[in-house]
Amino acid sequence: MALDVREPADEAAGARRPARRETTTAFVVSRIAVLSVAAAILLYAAPPLVATESWIALAVLCAAGAAIAYLYLTRRFVPAKYLVPGTVFLIAFQVVPVVYTVTTAFTNFGDGHRGGKAEAVAAIESGSVRQTPGSPEYTLTAGLRGDQLVFLLTDPRTKQVTLGTADGVEPLAGAQVGVTGKVLRAPGVTVLTAPQAAARGAEISALTVPTPGGAIKANGLSRAVEGRASLVYEAACDCVRGDGGTWTADESQGYFVNDRGEHLAQGWQVNVGLDNFARVLTNPTIYGYFTGVLGWNLVFALASVLGTFALGMSVALALHHPRMRATRVYRIALILPYAMPSFAMLLVWRDLFNRDFGLINQLLGVHVDWLGEPATARLGVILVNLWLGFPYMFLVTTGALQAIPRELTEAAAIDGARPWQAFRRVTLPLLLVALTPLLISSFAYNFNNFNAIALTTEGGPFPADSPQVGATDLLITYTFRLAFGAGGAQFGFAAAISVFIFTIVAIISAVAFRRTRRQEEVYA
Amino acid sequence: MKLALRHVFVVIVCAFALFPIVFVVSAAINPLGTLASSELLPTGASLGNLVELLTSDSYPFARWFFNSVFIALVSSFASLLLSMFAAYAFSRMRFTGRRVGLMALLLIQMFPQFLAIVTIFMIFTEVTELYPAFGFDTVWGLLLLYLGGALGVNTWLMKGFLDTVPKELDEAATVDGATHAQIFWRVIMPLVTPILAVTAMLAFIGIMSEFLMANVFLRDPESKTLAVGMYGMIAGDHRNANFGMFAAATLITAVPTVGVFLWLQKYIVSGLTSGAVKG
Amino acid sequence: MRLRALGVAALATLAFAATACGESPPSAPAAPSASAASSAPAAGGGTLVIWADPSRVTPLKPFADQFGAENGVTVEVKEISKDNQQTFLTASQQGSGPDIMIGAHDWIGNLVQNGAIDPVTLTEEQKAAFSAKAIQAVTFNGQIYGAPYAVENIALIRNTELAPEAPATIEELIETGKKLKADGKVDEVLCLPVGQKGDAFHVYPIFASGGGALFGATATGDPDPKQVLLGSPGSVKAFGKLKELGEKGEGALRTSLTNENYIVTFAGGKCAYLVSGPWAMSEIKKAGVAYDITAVPGFEGGEPATPFVGVQSFFVASKGKSKALAQEFVANYVTNKDVAKALYEADPRPPALTAALQEVQATDPDAVKFMEAGRDGMPMPAIPEMAAIWEPFGIAENAVVKGGDAAKAAGAAQQAIDGALKN
Repeated sequence: MALDVREPADEAAGARRPARRETTTAFVVSRIAVLSVAAAILLYAAPPLVATESWIALAVLCAAGAAIAYLYLTRRFVPAKYLVPGTVFLIAFQVVPVVYTVTTAFTNFGDGHRGGKAEAVAAIESGSVRQTPGSPEYTLTAGLRGDQLVFLLTDPRTKQVTLGTADGVEPLAGAQVGVTGKVLRAPGVTVLTAPQAAARGAEISALTVPTPGGAIKANGLSRAVEGRASLVYEAACDCVRGDGGTWTADESQGYFVNDRGEHLAQGWQVNVGLDNFARVLTNPTIYGYFTGVLGWNLVFALASVLGTFALGMSVALALHHPRMRATRVYRIALILPYAMPSFAMLLVWRDLFNRDFGLINQLLGVHVDWLGEPATARLGVILVNLWLGFPYMFLVTTGALQAIPRELTEAAAIDGARPWQAFRRVTLPLLLVALTPLLISSFAYNFNNFNAIALTTEGGPFPADSPQVGATDLLITYTFRLAFGAGGAQFGFAAAISVFIFTIVAIISAVAFRRTRRQEEVYA
Repeated sequence: MKLALRHVFVVIVCAFALFPIVFVVSAAINPLGTLASSELLPTGASLGNLVELLTSDSYPFARWFFNSVFIALVSSFASLLLSMFAAYAFSRMRFTGRRVGLMALLLIQMFPQFLAIVTIFMIFTEVTELYPAFGFDTVWGLLLLYLGGALGVNTWLMKGFLDTVPKELDEAATVDGATHAQIFWRVIMPLVTPILAVTAMLAFIGIMSEFLMANVFLRDPESKTLAVGMYGMIAGDHRNANFGMFAAATLITAVPTVGVFLWLQKYIVSGLTSGAVKG
Repeated sequence: MRLRALGVAALATLAFAATACGESPPSAPAAPSASAASSAPAAGGGTLVIWADPSRVTPLKPFADQFGAENGVTVEVKEISKDNQQTFLTASQQGSGPDIMIGAHDWIGNLVQNGAIDPVTLTEEQKAAFSAKAIQAVTFNGQIYGAPYAVENIALIRNTELAPEAPATIEELIETGKKLKADGKVDEVLCLPVGQKGDAFHVYPIFASGGGALFGATATGDPDPKQVLLGSPGSVKAFGKLKELGEKGEGALRTSLTNENYIVTFAGGKCAYLVSGPWAMSEIKKAGVAYDITAVPGFEGGEPATPFVGVQSFFVASKGKSKALAQEFVANYVTNKDVAKALYEADPRPPALTAALQEVQATDPDAVKFMEAGRDGMPMPAIPEMAAIWEPFGIAENAVVKGGDAAKAAGAAQQAIDGALKN
């Protein structure tokens, strides 16, 4: 959509230079194009919403459509014209997920508590259906009596056919049964073929034939069994009874709990207020190690950013010389690490570091357990991250260097500045204007670089006496181990952890970002 | 710096860059291609892994390749435009919420993506029902999703670059009576070709290796991208058995990226920047 | 220009492909809840969606198509490469999940607590057709939750040229292995992956033989998550035994042997003994090593060395859109011998159906040997709490293999697990 909105603007630019603030052909054309694109999107998007009667969504769609049309028709709100195309997608696919994730931090959302209470009750009841002892395993043939779906149930031992309806079972005489037990013909009933039955799958699953011992339900399309739910929910006491016990709903935990404190497996999502945040703050395995991990995390992020920047910039500078030859070949070699799928290369690096089989020890002729000792493991992950990240900095610096007029450096040279001084006084400051924002975002990225750790050391090596926190663990890897390691995923807890980490990164980045204001004002 | 010294330095860095890749090459041509090998030189040389890869029934590799390149090209082009617009506004205009907006862009990137998968399922379950053409298992849905990340990744990068373009240029154009759209398309865009090329390159590489979202989005073997398909090759217990093929695939993955780089290289290195100062 | 032409062609192709699977007519009114998503028009209407991991999509396809033809429905087999269990749970919850999921039996506990799968009713006859282990594995809370199709466990694979006789005890294995190493015939005593984070799955038989245990048992004989036994005296003793086998002891267990290199080291003839499963066989055969498969031996006078048994199964999704079809497929269709054999041929893991196993035996004795080796095996606990065990166990294993104190490592693991499970 954004693309279509912009094309007319291109035409406007391509037209003969218009006088300021006058209505030109290009202006009219571009506005018409905007309107027609907005109308086309509305025409595409609205009918399904009308069909499903999603009036709120329709209202939002129309309002958004109108707002966008207005935005591009008016001459005001110029910044918004440029920001809206990307922002629409950003809000839909990034902001909404983040906001939703934050809201789950206040719930117990996670394995065992994914759905609502009704879903949990349904799962408990259907999971407790047991076959009535001694009841036959009927061969099922679906049929129609009039337009009502009925079951023709063949007892495999006696070949007797019973008719099952929503009202109960009744004997049926005169049915013709095939070899497999399927009914071929039955008086008063139209037998459904397999495809016909498959098409009515939902109805077949839904039909319950009551019997004295429970109920007969279809098991697939060709068999039916008599069973009974051994656990039944009773709304009156808000509890589940059966199997010789009573489990009462506990809305604070999202479980059905009995008087011994045991709960049924299936739970539901409930609001737990600030519990998840309290857990982050009071969990001894989190706060006990927090400072140490944060310290290493900062070192890792800083070393990653500065290391990749220094190396990437150095090679970019080395290649940035008019008489430098073979630059094309060099550049390709230098971006290759970035062009390879990183998950594959992280695995390769892990193997290279292997003590007995790894290439690094063999080439160096040493016997170091690189990823097995805290200091070398930390060095190792920083090195791997340097390898993965420097091509990015190389590319970016190469681009930025082009934007620095060569006249400036040449002027410095004429003034008698040595190359190093020229770099310090002219090139580096200009590069930093372009790259400081990037360095900040790179820092923020590496601070949470989950993959770089998870695919190499997995946080290890771990001291034998505290298996929770390894030497190379970042905040995100070790807290997520707590959230996803024990008995399934705890999304609510993970979201709370994310909020904390988010706050830390936000503060650091905001401080760094404030310092860029001055730069911006000088050059912008 | 002496030219020779420059060469020496660059060669050393290249060696560092290529060292693990040589290992992958070795595995790719090694008939017994496995991840674990303590030798850099293969025990034998053959194109067996490559042939097996290209003729495999269970891995429609050519299809993956095509899907990846297509998605990466379309998506990087579109996201380039979107982020360029935003960066222009952030760099050239002053409006309330500008710095907050920039900061927000950065912070949104901080949220772990895998937590967002739950919401992605929520959103696209609805979308699939309402607009199947943009739902799960479609390339278009995935492209939409990628556009959501367009601003966050590249706006900061481009804004930094745009800040280095002297503002006198647009001011001069404004005096001449140019509108903001004209300044954007006719003054700024030509000046920032190297930046556009670099950003396009980064966006292309980013999408080529994107994996988390593509994995939940594209489930038909035929619709997969290289990253997802290749992950499947070494997932679980098959890691060892397929590594030779996988190594060959890894190398081929780099081909489009290198191709795009060769194509964009001339814009990256010989931008119109010398004209910038004069203009 | 050529590039542009190619691009236009590509665009057209993809647009076509997208609309072809996108703009299908709405499903038959008879099934209002039928999948609206990408359902190609089928004879009877209705779609059955199966999710599998990459290695099982191709072998399943012909059977899925056949089932579709018989029932007049479209069967789609989709491929998920990563985090299959979590992706299934999330997708199911949001209503985008499949009708049938394929996975390991130890997912069952977690899938059940999320209400994601339904019990599968098998007839007595069907149950009898499976190996008892397989049925035991897919039974959770007294209900059968999946149709098993392959049983896998680890065994001792030995290079018969280097070690002609199967060792009766670990001590014997170590002795032969060390002698071969001293003679320069091999580089490693035993190829068992440990890695930097340990590997509970592969070391478990030795751990069990040393007297270690994970959980106590409930009254019904199921593993009891309230009683974690990793720090118990028996387990401490077992960790002590692992330490003796480790780097500071016999040197049979080494952290540098990892999942990436242990099989290839054996296949390269650099090691006489390998502890691994059916997935190692293709590589071993490719390398042409003469081998035999026996059970992992225990310590002399120790407990039996019981390996974990994993059972690959078909699950019926509770929130699937075509549940009757899914039940039909899982309970009545894939329990059939030919399907089991085809899956075996695509990925040789011993079939869970006894009849299929017997047919396979004729051409491939390995399957039965693996089955034999797992005869006393313990089905991996399917309770969700098992997820909390793997990592602390592995780290403790790694610590003792490196020569750390067994009691300290076991105690720390116990504490970490108890903390996680809030025991």
